[in-house]
Amino acid sequence: MSQITPSCCSCSLPPEGGASRRGFFATLVAACSTLFTVLLPSITGVLGLLNPLRQKGGAGRFVRLATLELLPEDGTPYKAPVIAARSDAWTSYPPEPVGAVFLRRAGDRVLAFQVICPHAGCSLGYESSPQGGRFFCPCHAAGFDLDGRRTDPSSFSPRDMDTLEVEIRNGNEVWVKYETFRLGTAQKIAQR
Amino acid sequence: MKVLLEWFEGRSGFFAWLGRVYASTRGCGGTNCLFLAAIATAFVLQALSGFFLWMQYSPSAQTAWESVYYLQNHVAGGWLLRAIHHYSAHVLLAVLILYILQQIYVRSCRPPRELVFWSAVGLALCALAAILTGDLLCWDQNGYAATKTRVGFLTFIPWVGEYLFRIAIGGVGPGLGHLTLTHFFAWHIGLFAAGFFLLLVIHALLMRRVEAAAMNSLSPEPRYFRAWLPAAACLIISVIVLGAACRHGFQPPEAGVELLSPADVDPANQYAAARPEWFLVGLYELSHLPGLRERPFLSIFIIPGVVLGIILAMPFLARSKAGHLFNLLFTTLALIGVIVLSCYSLAKDRADTEHQRAIAVERQIAGRAGKLIRRLGIPPTGALSLLRNDPWVEGRRLFAMHCASCHSHVSFPMNDSGLAERSTVRNFHDVPSASPSAPNLWNFAGRDWLKGLLDPKRIGGPDYFGNTKFRSGKMADFVKETLADLEADEHAALEKVVRALSAEAGLPEQSALEAQETAFIAEGRQLLAREFGCTDCHKFHDKGALGTAPDLTGYGSREWLTGIIRDPGHRRFYGENNDRMPAYAPSNADAQHTLSAHQIELLVDWLRGEWYEEENSNK
Repeated sequence: MSQITPSCCSCSLPPEGGASRRGFFATLVAACSTLFTVLLPSITGVLGLLNPLRQKGGAGRFVRLATLELLPEDGTPYKAPVIAARSDAWTSYPPEPVGAVFLRRAGDRVLAFQVICPHAGCSLGYESSPQGGRFFCPCHAAGFDLDGRRTDPSSFSPRDMDTLEVEIRNGNEVWVKYETFRLGTAQKIAQR
Repeated sequence: MKVLLEWFEGRSGFFAWLGRVYASTRGCGGTNCLFLAAIATAFVLQALSGFFLWMQYSPSAQTAWESVYYLQNHVAGGWLLRAIHHYSAHVLLAVLILYILQQIYVRSCRPPRELVFWSAVGLALCALAAILTGDLLCWDQNGYAATKTRVGFLTFIPWVGEYLFRIAIGGVGPGLGHLTLTHFFAWHIGLFAAGFFLLLVIHALLMRRVEAAAMNSLSPEPRYFRAWLPAAACLIISVIVLGAACRHGFQPPEAGVELLSPADVDPANQYAAARPEWFLVGLYELSHLPGLRERPFLSIFIIPGVVLGIILAMPFLARSKAGHLFNLLFTTLALIGVIVLSCYSLAKDRADTEHQRAIAVERQIAGRAGKLIRRLGIPPTGALSLLRNDPWVEGRRLFAMHCASCHSHVSFPMNDSGLAERSTVRNFHDVPSASPSAPNLWNFAGRDWLKGLLDPKRIGGPDYFGNTKFRSGKMADFVKETLADLEADEHAALEKVVRALSAEAGLPEQSALEAQETAFIAEGRQLLAREFGCTDCHKFHDKGALGTAPDLTGYGSREWLTGIIRDPGHRRFYGENNDRMPAYAPSNADAQHTLSAHQIELLVDWLRGEWYEEENSNK
């Protein structure tokens, strides 16, 4: 844009000597003012664009998902919805479903798995069969056993299913530290 | 690297072109160049800040104001970005107006420069249209009210006005909405900003062409010694914009450009103090002159249209000396007219206390919106719903609409005629009645209010029963006969009664005091029923009976106030003695009510001063 300004008004070409006499000063002022004019809104705008980098993501929080009675004794998984308040830029949403967790009994422990597939983020399903159930991903056919381990050595999934921390509070309440993890990595890295 | 550059140069000729452009700039420095440099600078500021704003903005009735609020208060540098865009737009238009005036005054618009002149006028119109469409986008009370009025002008156009109006707002009106925002947003960028850029290029090329032709024939004096001037002009423009942007400091929400509260589609809540931008104030005042007031189509479309027509004809007029004289005369007179009208309008507004109060009230509501958002966040239904559910804002509005035809709610005593002098209104919650005919409800059931009621000098006055049929009723007689000329110990007893009765209301303002004075209040209750004989007419807890006068049990409490607003003719309140107060929700059938249960709740909370306050103001 800024070239248009001067180029339009070629009022007169000065004699050779004049050109060198005033050339440097004019060029200097022009460079400064162009730089200032372009940088002022640009830096301000980029600062705003980078705003999300200053924000803190939702660190994992414990949420109450179920009571022990809800979980089948035989170890069949129960898919519990996670209800939480969330905010999106300027909007604060009242509590609503923001995710889900598979809960299952394993002996006297409770296991919790993130329903998001570690490969590409699809939602995992549970499939029961006479041989025993399994988790599977509908997108790229990754399969996991009931402990969340990959069943196929050539699975698309780079890691086993993501387990979540579980606490039993007040005798029978199942509380889970709800977190999401980076996709596609062999390590389980929590998203902050 | 060098190979790459050569390859690129061989196929594009870019550097050679750049060199030619640079060479052609040497020696420039005329006034035109100065103006063009300033225009280009303001436009670069506009385009860049506009592009970044575009990335932060969400045009819909529930998100436009909210996204701007977020940008202003929560995004780093957001307030500055808004302010740069705002002020550079106004600087751009101002420079364009000066540019056009200069071309008229020095006669440089004359042939063969018609196209140069016209494209400059086109640039000014584009800038103006971009400002007017951009005004709505932040969707605050001012932008909304101003735009609604302006778009409404379209309906003055005969035959097609109504259709144009509907197309412009993307609906049937009268309120503006989602599609108005998307329409205006698209026009703002796609039509006026892009159009401006295109016109600017055309204008520059035309200018270059005529200047080159003029050079061949005239060979003017070389003006190269002023070549740094345009560059300096660029710098000055940028600095002016930055200075204006920072004039309210660096700390949002005050910094940068003011954002009022979110637009309210309810016409009853429309911002009363919206005024046009500086360049339209003259026209605004013109259309309010007697004679033109009744002919809006003439003042808003015909007169500006004729003026524009004359301006467009000026290049031809400037050919002859007489025509040039006409141009000078016309332009000067028009300028003087606009300036005089503008100054008159601004002075009138400054002296208008109602106008100033409307601005002050709106600013307070904007501040309140910020407080509510800091506490509750912005719900998916938008920030407006926070205000709609806030007693502080909505209670006051409901009172003004439904109660202020009879009751005042003013923090100062009313004068003898009963009218509150509007100039004395200073508190946000002062709502004077235009023709008060019922008690002033400021601090209703509070200690001071009750003290006034039991004051023989005041009970018959305009703040209490002065304008009602109870002026010479039993209560007034009782107060005037029994409570006049009290001894000191009787005064002390009355004070206890006042505190006991006021404690029935459980007002939040007095709760701390009342917690300390329980013994005092208990004594007052005994006095009220026995020595003062209130229960001869009134019911008070288990003493007295209903049917003769309002129940004093829980007097002024939420429950009591809700009851009397719902149905003052109920035997618990005034029964058959009710003066003129309407029943706002007498039955349980919601459809027949003047006020919904929720509205009554807001009104009661407001009367009782029950609303959210920040613990300590954050500064």
